[in-house]
Formats: sequence, C-alpha cells, structure tokens
Amino acid sequence: MVTPLTFVGDDAALVEALRAGHPGAAAALYDRYAAPVRLTLRSILGPDDDIPDLLQEVFIRALDRIGRLRDVERLGAWLSTMAVFVARAQIRLRSRRRVLSLFSPERTRPRQLEQPSSDARRALREIYAVLDQMPVDHRMAFVLRHVHGATLVEAAEACETSLATIKRRLARAEVRFLEAVRERPELTYWLEEGTRWTEKKA
Amino acid sequence: MDRKKGLTDIAARVRHALAEDPDASDEIRSGRAAFLAEVERRNLPPRSSRAATQLNRYWLPLGFAASIAIGAAGLWLWTRAGTFQIGESREGSIGDVIEAADGRVVPVSFSEGSKLVLHDGGRIRVLSVEAGATHVLVEDGIVDASIVHRQTGRTKWEFDVGAYRVTVNGTKFRMAYQSTTRALRVSTEEGQVTVSGGSLETPRMVSAGQSLTPSDPSDAALGIPEVPEAAAGPAAATADSGPGPANSGPGPAGSAPALANSAAQPESPRAGQAARDRQWQELIAAGRLREGLRAAERADFALVCQTATAKELLALAEAGRFFGPSKRAVAALGALRRRFPRSPDAGTAAFTLGRIASEKDGAYSQAADWFEIYLREQPNGPLMGDAFGRLMEARRRAGDLAAARSSAQQYLRRFPAGPYAAEARDILSK
Repeated sequence: MVTPLTFVGDDAALVEALRAGHPGAAAALYDRYAAPVRLTLRSILGPDDDIPDLLQEVFIRALDRIGRLRDVERLGAWLSTMAVFVARAQIRLRSRRRVLSLFSPERTRPRQLEQPSSDARRALREIYAVLDQMPVDHRMAFVLRHVHGATLVEAAEACETSLATIKRRLARAEVRFLEAVRERPELTYWLEEGTRWTEKKA
Repeated sequence: MDRKKGLTDIAARVRHALAEDPDASDEIRSGRAAFLAEVERRNLPPRSSRAATQLNRYWLPLGFAASIAIGAAGLWLWTRAGTFQIGESREGSIGDVIEAADGRVVPVSFSEGSKLVLHDGGRIRVLSVEAGATHVLVEDGIVDASIVHRQTGRTKWEFDVGAYRVTVNGTKFRMAYQSTTRALRVSTEEGQVTVSGGSLETPRMVSAGQSLTPSDPSDAALGIPEVPEAAAGPAAATADSGPGPANSGPGPAGSAPALANSAAQPESPRAGQAARDRQWQELIAAGRLREGLRAAERADFALVCQTATAKELLALAEAGRFFGPSKRAVAALGALRRRFPRSPDAGTAAFTLGRIASEKDGAYSQAADWFEIYLREQPNGPLMGDAFGRLMEARRRAGDLAAARSSAQQYLRRFPAGPYAAEARDILSK
C-alpha cells in the first residue's frame, strides 16, 4: 500500500520539511506541540475561551516564521516563546480595551469556559482574577516563573528584558500577589494549607 | 507564613489544576482541523491571479486571447514540468515518501510515459520532475524501472541509491537496494544504465542482460551480505548483519565504542546504587533538564550512564549541552552508543557528538568523523540532510577543501534548495 507522506522524523527533520513545504509537516508540527503550547497559553492566561484561537495563531505564526528559526533542535522552546508572546499580546489587548471600553466591561473581561465545579477550579479562577489586576509585565514575570516553571534567565528572555529587571518585577509581583490573595478567603485557605503542607513535608 | 514556600506550593496547585483539563483533547482535536484548513486555504493561488484570469476572459478580444492561449499552451507543453501518479488515482507530490507495504506492489506512472514499480518494502521519493529530467531517491527495496526513450535525447533520469547514482536514458532495469547494509544490485533488461559513485572508482555501464553488484570495500570488511538474487527484497534482507560500522571500529577522539549486546545491561554491580537514586529520572521525565542533570551528578553521573535508558541518555546529553559542561553530554552519548549500539538513538548520538565537537570544541575533523559515522549508520535517517550539510561545513573548517567540495556536490545533488545549498555553491565556486 502506498503511504503518502505522513511525516516521520525528529525536530531537525521536521523543520527542514516545514521549510520545504512538505504536505504532512504542518500536521506533524501541530500533533507534536499542540498540547505543550496550549498548556503554556493556559498557564499565562488561565482558563480562557480565547485559547483555541490563540493556539491556532501560534502555529500559523510558526509556519510563517519557520525560516527564521536558527537552532532547529530547539523547536519546542521556540514555539513556547512564541506562545508567550501571543499570550502577552492578548493580555495587552485586553488592557487597552479595558481602558477604552470602561462602559462595556463585558467585552474586556476574559471569558471563561470552565465553570467552577470544584474547589480547585474555583481557586484557579480566583487566582487569575488576581493576576488580571496586575500590570502586564509583573504578571508575566510571576506566571512565567511560578506557573510556567521558567528559570529567571528564561523569563527575562521571554519578556525581552534584563535579568535584574525581571527579578525586580518578580519581587513586586510576589508582594502584590500575596497581598491580593490575603483579601480572598478561598485563596488564603489554599495558601495556608500549602504552607502547612510544605512545612510538614520538610 | 513563609512567603516563598507558600508561593511555591500555590504555584504547584495552579499547575495541577491547569493540567486537570477535561476539554483539552476535544479542543486540540478541533483546533487541528481548523489549523489544517487554514494551512490549506493559504496554499490556494492568490486572489489577484484569479481576478486577472477573469479580466482576460471578459475584456480581451476573443481572437487575440485565443491566439495567445494557443501559443501559451504550446510553450507549456514544450517546457512544462511533468507530473506523476501513485497507484491508480493519487497525484504524486515532490518529496513525498512513496512506500509499498503489506505485500502490495505500487506503480508510479509519469506523465511522459515512464513507470516505476515498487515491490513490497520499497521506498522512494521523487525529488524533481523537470522538463526532460527526473530525479528519484531510492531509499530501500526493489524498484523496477521502465523509462521511455525519447528521440530528442532530452530525457534524463537519475536515481540516487545510497552512495550510488544510476543514470539512464531509455531502458528497463531493476534496482534492489538494502538500506541496512547499503548493498545494491542493478540488473538491466533492455537498453543500458550507468552506475557511478560509492565504491566504484569509475562509472560502470550495465547493458541488457547484465547485472552489477558494486561492493564497498569498507562494507566487505564488515561482512555485509550481498542482496540475494530473486528475492532481494527487504523482507529477505532483514537478517541481522551484525553491529553497524560505528560499533566495530573506533570513533573519533579515543571514544571507541566497544561491541556490546543490543540489550542494555548495567556495566557494574555499583549500578544498583544508581538505580536506587532515581530523582534525576523524575526530573528528566518532567522536562526539568537542568535540575535533572544536577541530580544525576549528585547520584554519580558515571553510574547513571550505566543504568539510564537510551532516551534518558539523550535527554541528559541535551542537558549537558545546554546547562552543563559538554563532557557530561559526551559521556552520556558515549554510554548510549556503547549500550544501545543498534538503536536509532545510537545514530542520533553520533550526530550530536559531531555537533558538540564542532560547536563547543571547534574540533572540526572529529566532527566530520562523527557526521560520517551517522551517515554510514543511517544513510536515510531523519538527520541525513543536516548531517550532509554539517559534514561539508566541518570539512571546510578543518581545511580539507577537496573533501568539502565532494560533500558539497553530494549535498547539492540531494538537496538543491536545502538550507546548506548556498554554502555548498560557495565552496564549489572556489
């Protein structure tokens, strides 16, 4: 039986195939990286019904810019960075709309598909509500470091800023986050539970 | 309240809650369809060209348009690139892998009348179908070719088969190629073909009724079997020919891989100790390479290399390349090649060792050796194109210009528009 090209190969071969316009390569790229890219978007934006559109935007951008990727073996990291840019642009867009549409708050609030069917989800929604109140740069530093698990250097690179600046933003974001959390009973409980759990374990 | 601890834990809970996402698979699946539809839409011809076609249809005088169209059609018929069809109805695309599997025979028909037939296990790619010239890469198996002879002499067919090139102008012949051993046999039924490259010092003509089985001296030393006569298909070629070249000879820089069983075995009793300390494994599996590398160092890196799986060794090597001293990467890759000599990962390890030698150490001759090893072990592997390009680059930087030119020629033959094509042309122009 004929097996018209379903792409098989590692990242370097995949990049080469994408650059050559290989018909199976776009699907292979998506199949390989949709889940981690989506998780990156979710970790920055939280549960949000714009994520399917943003996921597609990341992959379309990737196809358009694949010629610029230098280290072909870092395809995953490159896509992750692209997801960070797309998510940050989305937050900024919402911030601008928030300013411009003060009389239409429905249009600016992130729409959330997931209903709070459990304590964890409710807390998640609360946490992202706290993050929505932060300046974009502080939020990005906090989310990249604490939720996405990036190192300080990686967070600085993703935010296109210096290590010193990212540290400063992170420190401010942490203070602000903890202050906001203490005002929300659900999250205070989560935080204290977490601390007790950590101390017990230690 | 300990601020850092509290933050760390709440972040872990956020990650956990985000990962618990029942909509994920549905969303990814529907996103896939939308993405591929968008890709398809982008591949359509631009709207302006369609508009131009309509303009011509309605506004230009009919007689003038007809004469232009007739002229254009004639020119198109004269110069157009050919097309080809796979099986009964599927239109072929340049670069597609065409395979014959499950006991099936797959015909590939070309618009100018020539035909290839792939037997079970055969795998080819059509690299180009230009006016009068067709270029095919035979990756594996038996391929029967029936090439239409053109009186104009404009038709030129070339087949790249491993390290060999088969050039033909009107003939019927069979190529049987075993990629695992790089053994080739060419049998001509009608007309004649020319076989060059590989172990042949000069091109050899194979006329009707003749067969040629060129043998590579280095292959012969490794005991690579010849392709059997009639049943010379991949099915018959599955007999293990022993460890690959990289396992039977020293690699670069004294990192000679010793022969070993294909099964991974701990190399010493101390390995049990490393097996007990599995923290590094969890970190590596979670993608936390830097921390995984540090944990592996704490657990005794040498012992870890004796117990890790091939994939873990590759991940440790990546961690070593990016976050640690490159000697960690070299140690992990060396262990991989010793302990898993027949796995595809052993080839990837050779390729990566070449990259480290070239990029980290500036040891270009050594890098070239590793890229050659990769190409010998996996002549059709997924990194083949990059390995050819890097081999050429390493040879040039090592000052071996003759070898660099040879690599450049090979590269351009296979990848005329590849990412190293400009450099290859630059080398050839000097």
